[in-house]
Amino acid sequence: MRRLVPLLLVPLLASLGPGAAAAQPTVKVGVLKLTSSAPIFIGVEKGFFREFGIEPELIYFQAAAPIATALAAGQLEVGATGLTAALYNIVLGGEQLWIVADKGREWPGYPLTGIVAQRELWDSAAIRTVKDLKGHRIGVTQLGSTFHYHLGNILEKDGLTLADVKVVPLQAMPATVEALKGRQVDAILVPQPFPGATEAQGFGKILAWAGDLYPWQIAAVFYAKGFAADRARAVAFMRGYVKSARYYFDAALTQKDGRPAPGANYDEVVRITAQYTGARPEIIKLGFPFQDRSGRLLVPDIERQMKWWAANGFIKRPLPLKQIVDTSFIEEAIKTLDR
Amino acid sequence: MTVERVAVSDRAAFLRRREHRVVRALALVGLVVLWELLTRTGWVSSLFLPSPLGVIEEFADMARSGQLAVHLGVSLKRLLLGFGVGAATGITVGVAVGFFSMTEAIVQPIIAATFPIPKIALLPLLILWLGLGEASKVAVVALGVFFPMAINTYAGVRQADPLLVRAAVAFGAGRWSVIRKVVVPSALPMVFAGLKLGAGTALLLLVAAEQIAAESGIGFLITQAGNLMETTKLMVGLTVLSLLGLLSHWGLASLERAVIPWRHT
Repeated sequence: MRRLVPLLLVPLLASLGPGAAAAQPTVKVGVLKLTSSAPIFIGVEKGFFREFGIEPELIYFQAAAPIATALAAGQLEVGATGLTAALYNIVLGGEQLWIVADKGREWPGYPLTGIVAQRELWDSAAIRTVKDLKGHRIGVTQLGSTFHYHLGNILEKDGLTLADVKVVPLQAMPATVEALKGRQVDAILVPQPFPGATEAQGFGKILAWAGDLYPWQIAAVFYAKGFAADRARAVAFMRGYVKSARYYFDAALTQKDGRPAPGANYDEVVRITAQYTGARPEIIKLGFPFQDRSGRLLVPDIERQMKWWAANGFIKRPLPLKQIVDTSFIEEAIKTLDR
Repeated sequence: MTVERVAVSDRAAFLRRREHRVVRALALVGLVVLWELLTRTGWVSSLFLPSPLGVIEEFADMARSGQLAVHLGVSLKRLLLGFGVGAATGITVGVAVGFFSMTEAIVQPIIAATFPIPKIALLPLLILWLGLGEASKVAVVALGVFFPMAINTYAGVRQADPLLVRAAVAFGAGRWSVIRKVVVPSALPMVFAGLKLGAGTALLLLVAAEQIAAESGIGFLITQAGNLMETTKLMVGLTVLSLLGLLSHWGLASLERAVIPWRHT
């Protein structure tokens, strides 16, 4: 029911949208309260967006897919979240929005999403590897979510498919963790800090970090159609974002000899992320997700994602890349910043 | 002598309710046509409100691929099982409570205390007790059907005309004979009212249960389509639910006519 009400309101709001947006000096940015939103939080807190004449207004969501819906309906100018099947279906359904920049990748050596098995199943050696997941119930938040995609691809690497497991959608991350605790599912896929918490509480065992098994472009920055058309502001926002992304990378993602080697501003980035997500600093310190230093998108991966969703029946067909990806904003921003 | 004829108009004519069959049909058809036109003109994006023709097409597609049959089959199984168990226990308890004062003393306060709990609120508890599988889904439907059935049957039994009961006893009927031949038949209209109520509740609870951690079923179909922003598929799910509701109401009404032929409603 909760999902239906906005759906009915949306056409009304959409018709009001353009006029209202033109009068708005702030840029509405839809985000989740997760560590992976750190580059956005840094840009807001350090005033990197304001530096280029952009006044961002953060709007918090509970899941990735609703951000895409709100973008399509004209309620947001910018979205920064995971790439879901819903997003591709929205564009296939005739609504235009653009994937414009990197906002987080699953990457080897940077723990983000963990595959967590029930402690007892690990102890009894029933589940020790990805192959052992065959025939088991695996909890994810939603069908068509980033976790669903990641699970499918990891299984395929080991010669299995989604049909070999039972995927159980539990709608929210805390509910997914609870289902593992209550032994209703045998394993789950959840992002940090949840995997660490299940081990600390003794009912979970991290089987592997999903990014070590299958790296991909999990999250991105999106522009709504109207905002993308407002070229000057769209590029100005990107300038702030690139500056922010570099600040984030240099502080939190640098490595030396394959081990994390935090930069000078590490503690500040941890503090800002903790402040905006409401999580404790020691939990934030467990790991920051990887992304390109300048926020450049892994474009070929977008094509791979659409092919996989289509092959598995979650979207009708893949879209041509130029109908959904536009990297011209970030390239222009990088060029002017580096000059 | 001539008889003067006076034309009288029926001043209570406004109380007469005509059927307006044509208007009834037109209202539904008109709504669908208006909806189709609205989406055709492009005022409303087809992503947010899919056109009726699109929904019909998707319906046919899903029927052809067998997808719809799978979801519908699973849902029907849960629905019939839950409804059957709930109705059978409800009627049994209702008759027992209505007829025996001892049972009434024991069971009535328990029902009064548990009835007000919205059954949806019990779902997390049922999942904890019975697991994520079929049992918890069937149980919540059965619970939803049990209460209106038990309460209606009880009321129906209590309403049995004492004169008829005494007449039956005077003609030498035993206790069981009285229950079978007088009390239960006179409670039947109330039982059917309960069945109709229960059918609506059953559908509601089934969808709620299937939206949490199911792998198939109409409720699952709706959640999945919502998650994936496949609005046309979502509409197909809603249409199926509407048809299921209509069908169960119609089925129960025909059954009622067959079982209670003396009641012409």
